[in-house]
Amino acid sequence: MKSELIRPIQNRRLPLWRYEARRAGWTLLAAPLTALLVGVALALLAANGGSSRDQVGRMLLAGPEVLLPLTTGMAAVSMVARDGCRELQLSLPTRYAVTLGRRLGTLALAGAVCTLLFSAILGLTGLWAGPGPLASTLVWLPPTLWLAALAVLVGILGRSLVVATTVVAVVWLGELLFAAWFAAEGWARPFFLFTTVRFGVDGDWWTNRLALTASGLLIVVVVALLLRRPHQLLTEEEV
Amino acid sequence: MSELLAVSRYEFRMQARKRSLWLVTLLLGCLLIAIQGDQGPRHLPADTPPAEVMTTWAILLGIVVPLGFGMVLADRLIRDRRLGTTALLESLPVGPGRFLAGKYLGGLAASALPVFLLMLVAGGYESLHRGDPLLLGWTVLVFAVVMLPGLAFVAGFALVCPLVVSAPLFRVLFVGYWFWGNFLGAEILPSLTGTLLTPVGAYPASWLSGQWQMYAGDPGWLSFLRPEPDGLAALSSVLLLVLTGLLPLLVAGLVFNRRRRTTV
Repeated sequence: MKSELIRPIQNRRLPLWRYEARRAGWTLLAAPLTALLVGVALALLAANGGSSRDQVGRMLLAGPEVLLPLTTGMAAVSMVARDGCRELQLSLPTRYAVTLGRRLGTLALAGAVCTLLFSAILGLTGLWAGPGPLASTLVWLPPTLWLAALAVLVGILGRSLVVATTVVAVVWLGELLFAAWFAAEGWARPFFLFTTVRFGVDGDWWTNRLALTASGLLIVVVVALLLRRPHQLLTEEEV
Repeated sequence: MSELLAVSRYEFRMQARKRSLWLVTLLLGCLLIAIQGDQGPRHLPADTPPAEVMTTWAILLGIVVPLGFGMVLADRLIRDRRLGTTALLESLPVGPGRFLAGKYLGGLAASALPVFLLMLVAGGYESLHRGDPLLLGWTVLVFAVVMLPGLAFVAGFALVCPLVVSAPLFRVLFVGYWFWGNFLGAEILPSLTGTLLTPVGAYPASWLSGQWQMYAGDPGWLSFLRPEPDGLAALSSVLLLVLTGLLPLLVAGLVFNRRRRTTV
């Protein structure tokens, strides 16, 4: 009797995930695939230009570590900023943070599946230049979590797609352009997003990955706290 | 002509009132001034020629300010669709070509205004700091020759490309392109860095300042686009950037015209 009561509730949740995936549309797969395919294209260009196998391997890592955070961050902030019926969502008994979490969860899931498959293919073909299989997830997960969380935070605080996407773009470009500064400044190095591609898996790699994961999770907590007052997300067009 | 002016003026006034445009430029300007380091324009010696001072400012601001510019313009045409005003705008007695040109000119002027004001503030500070009022004149010249062609180039693509690839994907590709086309050295990967088509203004900046700037003419891929940075090369770069920026508008204008003829 009890299981019969629970089953309909459980079944009701899966269509919601499916609905959110359909709502996001091609963005779900376009975000990770663009990153990974551009990484492959760059590696092919490097190989064609006579780069060593090690350099080509690093270029292949650029897809998951450098490009995936950018595409996921931009996709995340677009999903948060563009909600055609946010005022209707706020009138529902389901908390808006849960709805938003489900939406971003579909993006995270699609990104994770694509990147895990990509890493596995590189591993099987001997082109993986990162750490061993157990730590391979840490190549892309911490920087992606960090930049996507920052994008959502700025999107919620600023309520402006332009400001949030610009912040993501500037942080991403700044980290690439000022890599040498991050390497030289001891306190900043744990927060450098592209350590594997730029400096390899050295002694500071674990510290960097853990610092990024911890600070990324901290930003997620701040986002969750801000979403306790979701009406603040309403823009002038929606009020 | 009056129709073009009317559309430009409407677009300019609408966009100049966008708070995010001013906020983004202000944030980026303050960030760049704060982190410019020892190589930045504030630390140039007192006897540095005014052209070099102002081109260094233009290059510093040109590193990331056009990113915000592209982000702002990326939804200008898409917004009309989203708000459902496209049909209303199409009913106006303005051809699609003129409408697009007006949007481009108005959008470019409105988005370039905060960048120009930022340069004026930098020029004002330098003219007071160095006691040379001529620096303000150099500010206007450097903005027009080094920054404006790059902004016009970005504006053309930022207006039209999101119609094809969607605004979020355009924003991603634009950021990637900005790094690849302006900063990624040709010795690492084939790139447009240091060519006449570098929108950060490497050639005009090198010519005006007399100093080699931003890899201008560095050997690499597409060697015919990498002449010695002199006056002729600077002029070619300006023309090439402006004309290339007009290409997407031309294609979009043709498509819009054809669509209107088939739907009428």
